[in-house]
Amino acid sequence: MTPEERDSLIAAVTTAHRERGAHGEIKSHRAWHDLDEAGRTEAFDETMRTRKIESASDARGLSTTARAVLARIGG
Amino acid sequence: MIDLDVHLAAIRLGDAGAFARWLAGAERPVRESLRSLAMHVDTESVLQEALLRSWQYAGRVEPDGKPNTLLRYAVRIARNVAISEMRKSRAKAVDPETLDASADPSPSAPPDPILRRAIEDCRGALPQKPAMALAARIESGGADADEVLAERLGMRPNTFLQNFTRARKMLAECLEGKGVAL
Repeated sequence: MTPEERDSLIAAVTTAHRERGAHGEIKSHRAWHDLDEAGRTEAFDETMRTRKIESASDARGLSTTARAVLARIGG
Repeated sequence: MIDLDVHLAAIRLGDAGAFARWLAGAERPVRESLRSLAMHVDTESVLQEALLRSWQYAGRVEPDGKPNTLLRYAVRIARNVAISEMRKSRAKAVDPETLDASADPSPSAPPDPILRRAIEDCRGALPQKPAMALAARIESGGADADEVLAERLGMRPNTFLQNFTRARKMLAECLEGKGVAL
């Protein structure tokens, strides 16, 4: 895997979009499975930073994760 | 200390606005509680499942006299969801002491207007395509897959991810230049 491919996988994992399974469960991201342990940890840290930017940019202080959850409950 | 239980009574009555205010302070500590498991589970999906269940089961949560009852409940749910996922995938066992490390989570502080202004300035300085990729992610709010966002912007999925990566790196550098550490 090239460094660019690794960066793309990490970027893919940082989205708040997750597919739903047949029983409504929230599925893990495909790209997460393609990362090694170091890459998964890096994706976690990158997601923390990304969500901080998102929530700081939002008038209600909500990240894309929070908005995705609220969308699922109809809020 | 911030006590997010000020929203608990309204959440128990089904007030989604109160839940949104709770989420603004609760998301980060619940996510942080999953750090030690990030190698074993997709923490974003675990977190979203835990936050959904926190909403669904909030009616059963009784304040115990200590602050942040619902937040501590959400941390426990997240941990249980993560352990369940690890069992399904037969991931390596994790030391229970590691799991208990964040048993007393602290809510996030309210949004900082100075940070918000710095982010706005830095986003304004991004090149067009990285700025478009970043904006698409934020505006979508997790509703759309990157493939959908890429198509809307007329980019190939991998080009979209490369632009998003450029955006986050340039944004981090710009914020660092302003003395902001994320």
